[in-house]
Parts: sequence; structure tokens; C-alpha cells
Amino acid sequence: MRRLLRELSVALAVAEKDIKVYYAKPSSIMFGFLFPLSMFLSYIVGRGIGVDKAISVLVAQTLLFASSSIGSVTIPMERRVKTFDRFLTAPVTLHSILMGKTLAGLLYGAAVSIIPVGIGLIAGMRVASPSELAVGIVLSSATFSCMGVMFASIPTQSPGQVMMPLNFVRIPLLFISGVFIPIEKLPLWGRTLAAASPLSYSMDLVRAGIEGSKYFGASVSILGLIAYLIIFLMVSIRFHIMIQKRE
Amino acid sequence: MTVAIEAFGLTKWYGKLLAVDHVSFKVSKGEIFGFLGPNGAGKTTTVRMLTGMSRPSEGTARIMGFDIQREAVRAKEQIGVVPDISNIYVELTTWENLVFTGKLYGIPRDERRRRAEGLLELFDLEEKKDEPAGRLSKGMRRRLCIAMALMNNSSVLFLDEPTTGLDVQSVIKIRELIRNLNRQGLTIFLTTHNMQEANIMCDRIAIINKGRIVAVDTPERLKNRARRLQSVVVSFDRAGTRVEEDLRKLQGAARVVKEGDKYRIYTSDPSDVVQALCSLAWKQGLRIVSINTVKPSLEDIFLELTGIGEVVGHA
Repeated sequence: MRRLLRELSVALAVAEKDIKVYYAKPSSIMFGFLFPLSMFLSYIVGRGIGVDKAISVLVAQTLLFASSSIGSVTIPMERRVKTFDRFLTAPVTLHSILMGKTLAGLLYGAAVSIIPVGIGLIAGMRVASPSELAVGIVLSSATFSCMGVMFASIPTQSPGQVMMPLNFVRIPLLFISGVFIPIEKLPLWGRTLAAASPLSYSMDLVRAGIEGSKYFGASVSILGLIAYLIIFLMVSIRFHIMIQKRE
Repeated sequence: MTVAIEAFGLTKWYGKLLAVDHVSFKVSKGEIFGFLGPNGAGKTTTVRMLTGMSRPSEGTARIMGFDIQREAVRAKEQIGVVPDISNIYVELTTWENLVFTGKLYGIPRDERRRRAEGLLELFDLEEKKDEPAGRLSKGMRRRLCIAMALMNNSSVLFLDEPTTGLDVQSVIKIRELIRNLNRQGLTIFLTTHNMQEANIMCDRIAIINKGRIVAVDTPERLKNRARRLQSVVVSFDRAGTRVEEDLRKLQGAARVVKEGDKYRIYTSDPSDVVQALCSLAWKQGLRIVSINTVKPSLEDIFLELTGIGEVVGHA
């Protein structure tokens, strides 16, 4: 129990430090905020989409991009300036370090995605189910943050070299997860692909929260996100240990 | 327990490249142990394995009795690490850097503050407490980096090139700090390229080359080992090709190297060479301006043991 508390306090310390050091870094703002915003604007402009639908899309996109950008930016940067070595030589397990990184991404993603919700509320948007929206934001942030940390196991000192493969996954996800085209309007193969995308469950929970419409339903979406969270976490730990063995 | 670090056949493969080849050594408690080697010899890889940054392909090591693989967390609790570059958080203040390190080591809040304050005083960084670490001078960053490594009251301090690139004042200050820490019982594992630093700082030295330890001994015993690297340095009132040719023919002279207005004659018996030089000077009517017998420097030993000497034309 003492050991567990120790690991948790280290995870919190790592997250707190990342918040202080990296949240305002240009790369975090660029990949986590400006990138999803520009994609959103290119989708929304001139289409006459209602506020609630538009905000749902923006929240889901922001959750995906912002949460997954912290680990994937900070870990290669820390490798470059050798501060990541501090974690490896400290008397803590790799699990608590990665937990801290995930927590930093979770908080960043959740905080940034609340901004469009606030803007929507000012613009007259009504939240159909605040609890589903809150669960959606928190779970999605955790899942995508873990996805970013998993990609950061690529042994590089350059955030760009992590961002490239990460975007190779993130951008196609937007097209198969009901962000631009609702899942129910996709052909059968599209709906099958959507079921394999973590963003679909995130989008579904956000839509349920804001618009009150759902495809999978809250329970399925929550389970789906938890399943992906566990998968990303396990793969992430395994990959980071593999890299440490090779280095 | 008198042993602080014990390495047993530490080996590291990078694919097909053998970076460290079954390295074994012991470092006693309270010792300053120098680890020397040319670039790419395996110094950093060995340190990375000892400090948990990298996992050995074979072999293991114990830090204060704790196995670095099976008891990694306990072993890491015993160490402080100062890498070759000051890996501080430049965005955080000096104080925040120390406090964060304390959190990483699970030090309770009050104790953390007490130790951070003590280290700021010890390392003369009190005035820079609230300054972002990025604004500190190179020497101050180095001091902060060492202070961070001492936050956990470590028993063993790994220092990688602690004075490289610093001005003379900072070098003297850091060396004095290291000596003081050692006097208080801290075991120091010092990786350096600087032979003079190794010579004046270390109780014992290990020389690693091509992934293998080629010698472990005290600096003086290492120097005594290579008798053939002893030399006599002589300067005459006039020079010339004839003198150099005659010097080469001297009894006991293994090699002659012209160094400015002096000649260095390498020999395993300096006494014979001095006598022969006096005789030569008398026969040729030369005046000896200066004559010195020189023991091999640590640099000579290093070049000899690592085989670099042959490449660069040293003895």
C-alpha cells in the first residue's frame, strides 16, 4: 500500500511538472489546440451546421488531438535534453512515470475541450446530459493521452518523428468515427471500422452529452473507451520497457 | 559492508555491436573511483547500466548490496546521477528543480524543503533560488545538477565529466565540492576524459578500452607499471641533426622525441641515460642547459593502455 501511494505521488509530481513546463510550449499549443481548431474550421465553414452539432465535433477533435499531444511531445523532448534520464535513475517504476505523463495529457485534453463547451453555452447551446458529457471528456482524455504516450515509445528525440505516425493514425480516425459523417450513415464496412475506433466511442459519448443522440449507447461507449485505455496502457508500458532494454 | 559498487561481467550488445564486454570491478565505500576511456570505449554505456538507464544484456551489478536488476528501486535509492550535460528543467526555478527531485525520490514535504535549503546553501545558490534555471551560468547549472543528485542523501554519486566546458573558477569550486562530499563519506564514481582531474581526484582508476577494462589501480601504481614510459628530458645550448642522431644511439634510449628546444628520451633506465648524456655532452663540447627525469604521466599510461599512443606517435 505504501509503495502504491509512493508511485501515485510520483505520478502526480510528474504531471504537475509537465503542466508547468510543457502546457504553454508552442508544440503543445500547435498540435493540441491550433491543429484541431483549423481542421474544425475547414469542416464547419459554410455548411450551416447547428451550434450543438458543431461543438460536439470540436470537442471530440480537441479531445483526440490535445490529449494525445502531451506525452508524444514531452517524452521525445525530455529524451533530447536528457531529463527523461532523471526518471530512469529515480527509485520509481516506469509505470508511475508513464501514469504521470498520461495524467498530464488527460488534464490538458480535458481542460482544452471544456473551452468549446463554454463557448457553445455562451452561444445558446444546451447540454442534454452533463454526466455523459463529463464521463466522455474524462475517459476520452485518458484514452487518447495514453495513446500519445504509447506513440512516444518510438525511440526518437524529435517530437516531429512521433507526430508523423501519430497523425497517420489520428487523421484517418476522424473519417471513420462519426466525426464528419454520423456512423449510422456509413456503409456496413464503415460501421464495422467505426466499431474498431476509440474515437467513435468518444464521439458517441460527447454527442449523447450535448445533443442527446447516441449510436452505441453510454454503457458500450464507456466500456469501449476503458478497453482501449487498458490496451494503450499495456502496450505503452511494454514498448517503453522494450526501448529501455535496447538503449 | 565495505563495497559500494560491484560489477559482475556487465555486458551490453547493441544488435551485433558489443559495446561493453564482461566488465567486472569493485568500488569501495568512500572511494573516488575514476573511470577513463577514449570516446566509444563503453564508459557511458557502463554508467547507464549501473544507474538503471539501460539494462545489461548479460551480467549484473550491486549498488550498496542491492542488485541493479532484481532490486532496481532499492539500488536506485542509493545513488545520485550527474550526467555529462546538466539535465535540469530550464523552465523551472532553481528551487522548483530541487523540490521536484525531492518529490521524485518520495521525500516528505518538510524534509524536502529542509534538504533543498541546505543544498542551496552548500552549493552557493541561495541568491538564485527563484531564478529560472535556464538563466543560470554554466557553472551554476552544473552545481544545481549535482545538488539535485544529492537530494536523496545518496551513498554513491555518479559524475560524468563534471567539469567539462567550465571556467577555471567553476572547475576549482566543483572539485572542492566533490572532495568535501567524499570527505563526508560519499562514494564517487567519476567518469572523465581529463587525465589531470583523474590524477588529482581519484583514489583508484579503471581504464576501459573497446568495451573491456584494461587496468584498475591507483594513479601512482599505474604510472609505475610502465617503466619503459619513463623519460629523460634534456636541453643543450645548441641543437642540430647530429645531436639528435647521437641521442638515438645512446645506451638505454628506446625512443627520442624532439619537443621544442628539448629532447625527450624514453627509457626503462633513466640513470643509464643521464650518465650517457653527460658523457655525450663532454665529448661533443655541448653545455646541458637543463636535464630532468620524468615519470610517465597518467596520460602516457592511458595512451599506452588504450593503444592510442601508437596511432598518434606517442611512446
